[in-house]
Amino acid sequence: MSELIKVTINEQDFEVEKGARLIDVCREKGFNIPSFCYYSDLALQASCRMCLVRIEKMPKLQTSCTITCTDGMIVTTQSEEIEKAQRAMSEFLLANHPLDCPVCDRGGECELQEMIFDWGDVEERFTEKKNVEPEKFLSPIVANDPQRCIVCKRCTRVCDEWMGEDAIEAGNRGVNTVIGTYGGWLNCSQCGNCIEVCPTGTLLDGVYRHETRPWELDQTITTDVYGSDGMQLSIGSRGGLVHRIVARDRYVNGLNGEFLDVKARFAHEFVNHPDRIKTPLIRYKKGGKLIPATWDEAIHFVGQKLTESGKNVGVVASPRLTNEAIFTLKRFAKEVVGTDNYAVSDRYDLSVFFDNLSAPLATHKEIRKAKTLVLIGGEPEEEQTFTAKQMRQAVRNDGAKLIIVNHTPIRLSAQASQFIHINPNSYDAFVLALTDSANDDANAKKLGIETKDLADFRQTLSETEGDTVVMFGGDLSPQAQSVLANSADAFDGTNAKVLFHPLPLYNNSVGANDLMEGKKSLSEVLKNSKALLIGGSLQEADTNLLANKDFIVVQELFETETTKYADVVLPAASFAEVDGTFTNNTGFVQRVRQAIEPVNQSKADWMITTLIAREMGADFGYNFSATMVFKAIADSVSAYEGLRYPALKDESKPVQVKHAISAKKDLSKEFDVLKSNVEKLSDEANKLTATPRVGHKLHRLTTLTSKTAQFHLLAHGNPKPENLLVSPLVQFNLDGTPRTETADAAAVGVTDRINLKVEY
Amino acid sequence: MEIKAIGCEPLQLKRMHIKDGHTLKVYQETGGYESLKKAMNMSQDDIINEVKASALRGRGGAGFPTGMKWSFVPRQSPKPKYVVCNADESEPGTFKDRYLLERDPHALIEGMLIAAFALGAAACYVYFRGEYRYLIDIMDKAIDEARAADIVGKNILGSDFSCEFFTHTGAGAYICGEETALLSSLEGYRGHPRMKPPFPAIEGLYACPTVVNNVETLTAVPQIIEMGGKAWQELGTEKSGGTKLWSVSGHVKKPGVYELPMGYKDLEKFIMEDCGGMLRDDKKLKAVIPGGSSVYIMNAEQIVGKGVTMDYEGLVVGGSMVGSGGFIVMDETVDVMESTKNLTEFYKHESCGWCTPCREGTDWLVKIFNRISEGGGRPEDAQLLLDICDNIEGKSFCPLGDAAAWPIQSAVKRFPEDFKKWLLNKTNGNGVVANI
Repeated sequence: MSELIKVTINEQDFEVEKGARLIDVCREKGFNIPSFCYYSDLALQASCRMCLVRIEKMPKLQTSCTITCTDGMIVTTQSEEIEKAQRAMSEFLLANHPLDCPVCDRGGECELQEMIFDWGDVEERFTEKKNVEPEKFLSPIVANDPQRCIVCKRCTRVCDEWMGEDAIEAGNRGVNTVIGTYGGWLNCSQCGNCIEVCPTGTLLDGVYRHETRPWELDQTITTDVYGSDGMQLSIGSRGGLVHRIVARDRYVNGLNGEFLDVKARFAHEFVNHPDRIKTPLIRYKKGGKLIPATWDEAIHFVGQKLTESGKNVGVVASPRLTNEAIFTLKRFAKEVVGTDNYAVSDRYDLSVFFDNLSAPLATHKEIRKAKTLVLIGGEPEEEQTFTAKQMRQAVRNDGAKLIIVNHTPIRLSAQASQFIHINPNSYDAFVLALTDSANDDANAKKLGIETKDLADFRQTLSETEGDTVVMFGGDLSPQAQSVLANSADAFDGTNAKVLFHPLPLYNNSVGANDLMEGKKSLSEVLKNSKALLIGGSLQEADTNLLANKDFIVVQELFETETTKYADVVLPAASFAEVDGTFTNNTGFVQRVRQAIEPVNQSKADWMITTLIAREMGADFGYNFSATMVFKAIADSVSAYEGLRYPALKDESKPVQVKHAISAKKDLSKEFDVLKSNVEKLSDEANKLTATPRVGHKLHRLTTLTSKTAQFHLLAHGNPKPENLLVSPLVQFNLDGTPRTETADAAAVGVTDRINLKVEY
Repeated sequence: MEIKAIGCEPLQLKRMHIKDGHTLKVYQETGGYESLKKAMNMSQDDIINEVKASALRGRGGAGFPTGMKWSFVPRQSPKPKYVVCNADESEPGTFKDRYLLERDPHALIEGMLIAAFALGAAACYVYFRGEYRYLIDIMDKAIDEARAADIVGKNILGSDFSCEFFTHTGAGAYICGEETALLSSLEGYRGHPRMKPPFPAIEGLYACPTVVNNVETLTAVPQIIEMGGKAWQELGTEKSGGTKLWSVSGHVKKPGVYELPMGYKDLEKFIMEDCGGMLRDDKKLKAVIPGGSSVYIMNAEQIVGKGVTMDYEGLVVGGSMVGSGGFIVMDETVDVMESTKNLTEFYKHESCGWCTPCREGTDWLVKIFNRISEGGGRPEDAQLLLDICDNIEGKSFCPLGDAAAWPIQSAVKRFPEDFKKWLLNKTNGNGVVANI
């Protein structure tokens, strides 16, 4: 705790920390101060002039957002003079702001509305004509109504400071200032954070636009189903339909505040998509069709077939499923089938990381406050978007040192204090160099870097005063991962705490690894079993191993490459329809909450597995309650010991599971593999020099994202339509005929909104 | 067009009428760069003390004591220091710097070099307004000449003092005359003002200690070094030292640039005698804006027979400010409502849009003035104008908001007849103009 100083606010004395910001102090002490442009952890703006206060010995009213408290400061936040100023500012803001709240999507949750109710005047003195600007789309998913803008520039600041994109900026001057893009079209990763932070209806969700009013939506706090950061979000649903996803409330921050990425925010149309599997499907004859069946029929059929296969049943869980579903699948393998043939269909195996983990996992807060960040491989901007944002802010706002070791000049490397650009596939050599400085020259040669780079790297580590966070993921070989995870001591600096951060690819990769203890590799399981129970589809590349099996059951939302091999497909419920938990890449177990009733006849994955088990004569004792499943997890998995749903209730205080910290291990076998791998590397430098566009993975069409119409436009390079004044999904030529792009969009199977016919 | 000194020897205007006064040769023949040599033999503290003793106050408009501004610069800081000349002369009614830059560019170079020497600065920047494009060529030529003569660049005059010179042009924004906006623009960003503190003296150009001075302020520095701070101060008054240039325009017979000692008596005599009196003999004096458009407008009663002295203190007593010395005289043919409307349109056009009161307030004011001038004036408009101005004044991010409010406040209060005419006519009948 730093030094305390005395501040007097409205004649009451308070002790506050030295250097605290006045507006934060006032709000904390219960003196409400209005503001638009002030946003904690963003650059100060002081432009809205709402937060004016009177400070003794200062000539004018001062903006409390720019004042740091000094000892003996005497502040007045409420007086006639201040009230007049606040009324005046709200009057100015409303002068050119159209009062079209009844048709504005933000109406009902608009900060301007709230602020005017609280601080504005009852009477409107502005009787002149308002300035107008036509509304338009900035991209397929960002709608813009410039006349509603109050120029708080939160959007431009988050674009710059959070995303490092700078895709959106203020144009023109004076009262004509508008938020605009370079070239009139938003060319970025489309995260939509500008929409989230906008206090008015200037930037709007183009997917949700005009669908419903916010107060008619049920808000359910849950966890992102795409990324491994476990971002907290709020599903807005109504009448069994998911209408929109926004970040968790600004004032009750989950771990990510208002930050979400493009997939988390916009790619939710899959939940209510017409292609969802509606009933259980049975393929009675190999090569035949999948035929709808009742649940009783399907479960009975599955039970019979799996019993016939005896111990030859393998179980595969997708890292997208909830902890409850994965755990139930494992129990099925262990208790019902009695086999060790179970696996996770992840793209890389986290068990080597956790088995050798020699330091705790870093939380996102610790990443933000770290002094040195070491990123080895990976591309967080595409896969772990929130981690990338924390890294960028740590560097930009707090001067953290970022060291990037990568074979691709990823965009984050522009922010790095040291970018070690290595040859492709040479991460093994880097890990060797890290643990053994004797062979720097040889290793540097294999890496295609100067020997000095390694020395600089070590120097930065040794000079670090504060936390060091080391991040790496599936770009490294399993041996390299185990050696790195086991060598926290290699990163020790002065007074430093070393923390690790894995870079998993899926929302519950970590949970799947925790719960599937003793799992085998996917190919092994697929090879060893004659029958399979698969929860969630496999990667497309792995599906060829499914050929020639006796019997395959798949729990899925959609028909995929995997269901082509299935004998029975059971309709599973999506994340919006189930209760459960995900474990994120910082080890936080966070709740997934049911927003809507299961769509069609689908059931939660864990319930389907339980039904099959019951059919086969095993009772897991869940009593059809997710709470009981989680209790079973807590009772049998040591890292989750003692946890219950009520303990996970408050998303602003997430609970970290206790991953075991292993002692220094003898990894000579791994070292041998690394050494032989490195020897095989060529000495010639052969570097990748192109920086990939950010968004190329985020916009990738997958089973889930492809169900949101706008993602097809994004995946095809986010084309700029000729006429921006109307939605890019419904485009017409001047003669009234639909534009051809629209026809394309219809061809890829998007909802009937696209096929809208208009007759003139 | 008169360019002359009245009541003192021409100091600032010394080379205005000398042929080729802008060349290094003529400049040196007339005593140029002697002050630099003298200054380079003085200690840094002595130079700053001389400037303090001279009571030189910033000529750009705010009138901040220059010596004090220089003393704020942390000279022991390891960061490089910069001297920036604000040649973004865009205050309506002001055109003095233009003549200094055109006819005496070496005086500015010398003044900046002395400042750079006193502050240990490594580089000097001259920021011109976009419309002064042709002056950049003159300045660049002067810098090249000086560089060839070892006055600018490495090892100036054979000493170990080195200082680089750069010129830069704005893109036509009034706001870039505000020192922090000027620095933003100079760095290549959009010309938005910055938060103060930190003041430029601590964190200015590229977050390094920076002094930003007006052209006229810097050209005064060689004179101060030459004659000594005390002697220079005694040309003027105790708190406003030296001489000041006034850009006179409007309804006078002899508009032009006049150099007057500070404390010149009096304003009425200046208009009626020195500037040749009113343009049309049968028209009476109605209004004067003495210091550029951003100061209070004065009416005839405040001038005639009042003996207003022309210095910082005297004009405040007289009801206005020195500002940048843009002296605009208006006779009785002027309708102050319309002249104020014109000024307000300027401020709306030049508001940068950063902060709410200035952005929206100036737009609203212009809309009201437009309505009034189209015959839609209402009696309550006078009070509304004053109230909007009060809501802008002191609450905007930078002084542009204040500058937009002051002319209107003073016009409405000091020229009630001109407003009553518009607000009480036609449809609105017998209303009363409140609180005028």
